[in-house]
Amino acid sequence: MDNTGPSRLTAIALTFMAVIWVSPFSWLLLNAFNPLSTGQLEFPRAFSFDNFGLAVSGNAGRQFLNSLIIAAGTATLSVVVGISAAYPLSRLRIPGRNAFLWTLVLLRMLPSAGVLVPLYFAAQRSGLLNQLGVIIALTILNLPFTLLLLKNFFDTVPIELEEAAYVEGASLLQIVTKIVLPMSRAGIAVVWFFSFTGAWNEFLLPLIFARVQDAFPMSVGLYAAFGQQGAINYGFLTAFSILYAAPAIAVYFLLRRNMNTGFAGVGVKG
Amino acid sequence: MADVTLRKVRKSYGNLEVVHGVDLDIKSGEFVVFVGPSGCGKSTLLRMIAGLEPITDGEVSIEGRVVNDVPSPQRGIAMVFQSYALYPHMTVYENMAVGLKLKKTPKEEVDQRVKEAARILQIEPYLDRMPKALSGGQRQRVAIGRAIVRNPKVFLFDEPLSNLDASLRAQTRVEIARLHDTLDATMIYVTHDQVEAMTLADRIVVLNAGNIEQVGSPLELYRNPVNTFVAGFIASQRMNFIKVTPEGNQLRLPGNIPLTLSGVDVSKVKTIGARPEHLELASPETAHLSGTLAVIEQFGEYALAYVELPNGETVTIKLDGAPDLQLHQEMHIALPEGQVHLFDAEGRVIRA
Repeated sequence: MDNTGPSRLTAIALTFMAVIWVSPFSWLLLNAFNPLSTGQLEFPRAFSFDNFGLAVSGNAGRQFLNSLIIAAGTATLSVVVGISAAYPLSRLRIPGRNAFLWTLVLLRMLPSAGVLVPLYFAAQRSGLLNQLGVIIALTILNLPFTLLLLKNFFDTVPIELEEAAYVEGASLLQIVTKIVLPMSRAGIAVVWFFSFTGAWNEFLLPLIFARVQDAFPMSVGLYAAFGQQGAINYGFLTAFSILYAAPAIAVYFLLRRNMNTGFAGVGVKG
Repeated sequence: MADVTLRKVRKSYGNLEVVHGVDLDIKSGEFVVFVGPSGCGKSTLLRMIAGLEPITDGEVSIEGRVVNDVPSPQRGIAMVFQSYALYPHMTVYENMAVGLKLKKTPKEEVDQRVKEAARILQIEPYLDRMPKALSGGQRQRVAIGRAIVRNPKVFLFDEPLSNLDASLRAQTRVEIARLHDTLDATMIYVTHDQVEAMTLADRIVVLNAGNIEQVGSPLELYRNPVNTFVAGFIASQRMNFIKVTPEGNQLRLPGNIPLTLSGVDVSKVKTIGARPEHLELASPETAHLSGTLAVIEQFGEYALAYVELPNGETVTIKLDGAPDLQLHQEMHIALPEGQVHLFDAEGRVIRA
């Protein structure tokens, strides 16, 4: 038997897979740094950051900012509302609280496009067809999972810690802010970052709610860039795409750092 | 230092009453241990004193002031939890300083009091560590330190040693006893471990099913238990209970051997109790009880022999040293007069 046979075959198969994987990314990178980009997968004859310059200025820069406002706003509002609702859900013996939570989650399982029309009319009536409206709508859609996640994190904070703080004279607000929240940091980070990426990637809601170009976030801008002035500027498009993807990578690293806590339960037992 | 008084204290969860009217006076500076099996209401009672559990009925007073409606922080108590309840995201120093900082105590005073408590408990080297970097025993000391720092009138301990291993538990027990001597504070301590109760307490409160069975010093409880529950619960080796039938002024033991007791009306005696350490080996002629050796446990300094009587009951006897005994051999036991406790049909003691 020829020993090299199978390994050569494997190598070819793996190379093939690797090329399939890598080619879109290399296409993206090669075109983004090529000022004379034509949309072909080719090695650039020139190299510059011009495309990135275009992607952060003017309308594109405005869209980056809009995306940031929507994503950070949604994430922060989700966390704040989620905490204020999840803590009582975790600590008070409300009858049927679990059934209630899971019902909310079930409702959220339905595709959000299904509730788009009522959401739109509700926003129209309350004058919220703007970025604030997008933030509020996304927060509402996030809330079931946020509640479930945060409640479970709060459940892991031993009640003795709160009792100890109470005996020592802490008010409810102090107990929550000094004991419960710091100990649930990992959970809050997960909720914040997932809400952030969710809102950053959201396309449909901002498209319908924010009907002027000034209010478009990047996701809508990217879509619009395909057809701008008849021709597609591939250099601009790829640079814009890379910028659009960057926060996801940043979030990944921030999340990893914040997840390295896991100290719930350390105060208990030995 | 403060005295604590309980008057007809009751606790119900819905229709279920778990503490049935407890009356108790705890003197200033006293070390009182609540002991009893799990579910007897001892922790609930402590939590009511702490203000963590509303009092259904009755009164709890600290230093002469009824505290039923006084929130926990204003009761002048500090509590040490079974789980230590250290804040995992704060250093040892911060853990100990939290209570004082909440009271807006000046920084220098906080510092001085934390360092003083750390010195007493010998945890000075760990002040900058996080709780997770400490061993169980060290965490327990931090938890006690956090209580000391606040300079409370009453210390409340809720099974503080039950998460420690045996040797550490013995060591910490001694430290708590020493601490009580140093601080001279009123301490209320809950445990299910009768050894902790015996060794630490000035007075033991034996609880069972939400009622006080007996209150007394450890030796009082050991020598004069008022009923079979207390008799069986206190002391490391459980008391032997033997069913008897009164016959005139004698008691008939299993095996039909008569036991004569002077100066007691034995007509109502249904059970006699004798501690394993008070039983003696005897010759077949002078024995009150005879049986075969079912199990022997050798501890080195002493041995416990479990003797099975012909009627199926087992009697434990504690023997000094390392006796040379064979399993299934004949054993003859004598009941020394003066060491036998008499109980009636309800399990209440009958005294001479």
